[in-house]
Amino acid sequence: MKSTTILSAGALVGLTLPAFAETEITWWHGMGGQLGEVVNQIASDFNASQDDYTITPVFKGTYEETLTATIAAFRAGEQPNIVQVFDAGAATVIAAPGAVLPVEDLLKANDVPFDIEDYISGVRYFYADSDGKMIGMPFNSSSPIMYYNTEALEEAGVTPPKTWEEFESVTAPALKEAGYIPMTQSHMPWIFTENFFSRHNLPFASDNNGFDSVNVTINMDAPEIKEHFASFKSWVDDGLFGFYGAAWDDNAKPFEQGDVAMWLGSSGSFGGLAQKADFDFSATYLPYWEKITTEPKQTFIGGAANFAMSGHSDEENKATAEFFRYLTSPEVQYMWHKETGYVPITTAAYELAKEDGHYDRFPAAEVGIQQLSLPAGENTRGYRMGFYVQIRDVMNREYTRLLTGETSVDDAFAAIKKEADALLARFAQTQS
Amino acid sequence: MTATDTAPVSAVTPRRRRLKLETVLDHAVLICGALFMLTPIFLALTTASHDKVLIQREGLQWAFGSETLTNFNAAMFEPGGFTGDITGATMLMNSFILGVGFAVGKIILSMMAAYAIVYFRLRFATLAFWVIFTTLLLPLEVRIVPSYEVIQGMGLTNSYTGLIVPLLASATGTFFFRQFFMSVPEELVEAARIDGAGPFKFFVDILVPLSRTMIAAIFIIMFVYGWNQYLWPTLITTEESLFTLVRGIRQIVQAIAEGSEIPDYGRAMALALIAMIPPVAIVVTFQSWFVKGLTETDK
Amino acid sequence: MKRARFDHRLLPVMLLVPQLTIIAIFFYWPAWNAVHSSFYLQDPFGFGSQFVGMDNYTRLWTSSEYMRVARFTLVFTLLVTGLSLGLALLLAVKADKVIRGARTYRTLLMWVYAVAPPVAGLIGVALFDQNIGAITDLFAALGYDYRLGVSYSDTALAMVVVSVWIQTPVNFIFFLSGLQSIPKPVLEAARIDNPSGFRRFWEVTFPLLAPTAFFLLIINITYSLFDTFGIIDTLVKNNPASNPMTLVYKVFIDGFRGNDIGGSAAQSVVLMVLVLILTVFQFRLLERRIHYT
Repeated sequence: MKSTTILSAGALVGLTLPAFAETEITWWHGMGGQLGEVVNQIASDFNASQDDYTITPVFKGTYEETLTATIAAFRAGEQPNIVQVFDAGAATVIAAPGAVLPVEDLLKANDVPFDIEDYISGVRYFYADSDGKMIGMPFNSSSPIMYYNTEALEEAGVTPPKTWEEFESVTAPALKEAGYIPMTQSHMPWIFTENFFSRHNLPFASDNNGFDSVNVTINMDAPEIKEHFASFKSWVDDGLFGFYGAAWDDNAKPFEQGDVAMWLGSSGSFGGLAQKADFDFSATYLPYWEKITTEPKQTFIGGAANFAMSGHSDEENKATAEFFRYLTSPEVQYMWHKETGYVPITTAAYELAKEDGHYDRFPAAEVGIQQLSLPAGENTRGYRMGFYVQIRDVMNREYTRLLTGETSVDDAFAAIKKEADALLARFAQTQS
Repeated sequence: MTATDTAPVSAVTPRRRRLKLETVLDHAVLICGALFMLTPIFLALTTASHDKVLIQREGLQWAFGSETLTNFNAAMFEPGGFTGDITGATMLMNSFILGVGFAVGKIILSMMAAYAIVYFRLRFATLAFWVIFTTLLLPLEVRIVPSYEVIQGMGLTNSYTGLIVPLLASATGTFFFRQFFMSVPEELVEAARIDGAGPFKFFVDILVPLSRTMIAAIFIIMFVYGWNQYLWPTLITTEESLFTLVRGIRQIVQAIAEGSEIPDYGRAMALALIAMIPPVAIVVTFQSWFVKGLTETDK
Repeated sequence: MKRARFDHRLLPVMLLVPQLTIIAIFFYWPAWNAVHSSFYLQDPFGFGSQFVGMDNYTRLWTSSEYMRVARFTLVFTLLVTGLSLGLALLLAVKADKVIRGARTYRTLLMWVYAVAPPVAGLIGVALFDQNIGAITDLFAALGYDYRLGVSYSDTALAMVVVSVWIQTPVNFIFFLSGLQSIPKPVLEAARIDNPSGFRRFWEVTFPLLAPTAFFLLIINITYSLFDTFGIIDTLVKNNPASNPMTLVYKVFIDGFRGNDIGGSAAQSVVLMVLVLILTVFQFRLLERRIHYT
């Protein structure tokens, strides 16, 4: 209020006074390449849209480098106003009492209307606390979906499989017959583990997937996931599934080159794929096991969220809140969705994209949102586990060993369970 | 090595020819070595002349393409970043300041320290050496967070001082000069003392000229080390006007790991090649200088 | 050490102060920090920490993964140090010997030294890529299914080759300057005494190169242990999975990437102690055999 009166006073005096100092805030992010340029665009547009605040985005390396830089800065009292934190690192930030301002509190305190129901259901609770209060504002959000090479499937005379049973008995053998590697996937922890539990509405961890307590244990001894990986292993051995290690692009490339017929990737891969592939492709939901459930549920998001850091003045927090208001507006969300392939996080932005005919032009761009909007279950809101970056590393290590025949299904999952629980117990200890 | 392949051509030859064979072998080894060293760089050059979609689909290119100018122009002059301040040219400047500042600082500090350790009767000389030497034990990457806290406490984030000084805490330079000083003939010190030259005069008039070649070598090493820093500059600078080339390259190619779009490979390769030019120029310049210096001393 | 020296009290101290100050602030303080942290479990943001005694250490000894990383580090360090020193020495001897084109060879062989680690990693990744890498194609032509990022030994090969590639030029520069500083009369005399080039090299030339070689040995060991992590990170695409990694990369993964401050601090301390032992051992064993002047 105060700043606006001063500003209008300044305006009255006219040009004789130097320009009134705007409130400046910083935003650290980990978006390189083209994505970084879109981030810069959003920031410039925000600065141009009003005169009270200036935001400066800073590229701080990878997600991990961004988070560590933020932690180092926080310990020295130099933290940015906003920081982008990736899905697996979210628990570290959310668990730290007083490091972040819950975005829901921040918005309400600064008179920015907020209703969690405005957000798409698969997006809503991933960065929320146990009571459902939103802590981090989802930013680049995506969900794992299945892309397929239309020509390859036509050639083999099959349609994209809805279930893994169908894949195993019909789709994959036909594609193999037609000379294709039937399928690859790009992220075993995210697609085949975390979202496997969500899609089948199985508990991924104790204590409400870790949302209710830091004293959590992981359910990596669940028979369903072990069976899934046993099947995965047998498909790889039988040439029904390609495996190129834990790196994302090594598994994506054979699909882009037309050697692989179907690929489990991110809904955010849509834009890049359109550049890379020279064949017609489309996308659909992640398959599910009919033997586990006949009512498959929604998946949840991956990607990253923006967190407001504590320790700043009210004016700066106000600026942060205003920036979030701008960022979540349907127009900006739609622009972000269109430019990058990440899903729009609010229903209003989704409606705007539909009205504008975006999905008539690119039907595959809608799959991610539709899948995130499928019916929810009690185990589909996400997970909250500390040291999760290391837990993912353990999963990738054991999965790779399993698929290259260095270990058995039982040993691999026993090792993951044991190491992950030990890491979780250590994390709980840091919080006590 | 493939050098052996050429051997059977003239296995049994008279003595004069054999001398030639040896020379041929020497050249073969050197050519193989040079090929091993340079082929990847040649590939970077040829690849920098292609369009990113082609590079994405087919990988490194062996032949030159048509995009050379576009890519190099974009790498050098196209403004990037939020402020539009960062072009290849400004990043080049920053890397240069970092490289030269670090190399010069390092040479001065470590020559002084090594001189004290080798040429003075100092009770704790050995201790001092080991105190310095142990810094080889822990690279900056491992002690990066506490170092950040110190720099921040001094208010040196976003400054060249903050970029350079913490990197100076390492032993390589001191160790290097100690090794060299110990191989300098003792008679020189005796002679200097008989002439009545003090430690300062000895240092400036005798030791520094004698160390020219070593200074050149260490300048090269330290310049390249400073030039190639990535993690530390990323952590302590937030102002785009301080971005370095290596960081610029990382910003372009980082999209590889995310896999959502085609990184601007051609531009990244062009930037990588530009990033190579100053260190190479320095290496080549100093190389002839220090080789000459060495043969002239003729000790 | 019986060397002629100057008698001054204050001057040497003043000469040492700047270097020691910087080292105290930017090395000993952070190192002490690491030692201290290694006995605690800490929330990364610094809100809370809990004394856990030796826990951070005992979990290392009991982890078979950590031991596997330690074994790989040993093999990797030996390979990279040995190969890059050996290759550099071979090339330096040849470059010192040839008359025609000596300068050209020298210049060409030094080029790679200027390649920044992320760029080297990028070129390495492209060459060894599973799907479109030139070296992968070469292996395929030889009937071998090379798989970077899937096969442990294949990934290790790429790490060693790229690291050797980057490190050879600096060794080459030093060996060459060392060779050229050997007085010509010494070599002439040796030529008369001993016509066999190979034996002459090991009996006459190499001992004269020893101070350089010793310096390079230490520098190369620290390089293999510490400075290769940028290459490793790029080659595994920031995704360690079941790939080989070195102890320093593991510290980086757990500390910088995973924010486990206590755990990574303990690993840093272990690393410091290991390198310290190694260095003292080298000094004792090797330096007494080297004759300066």
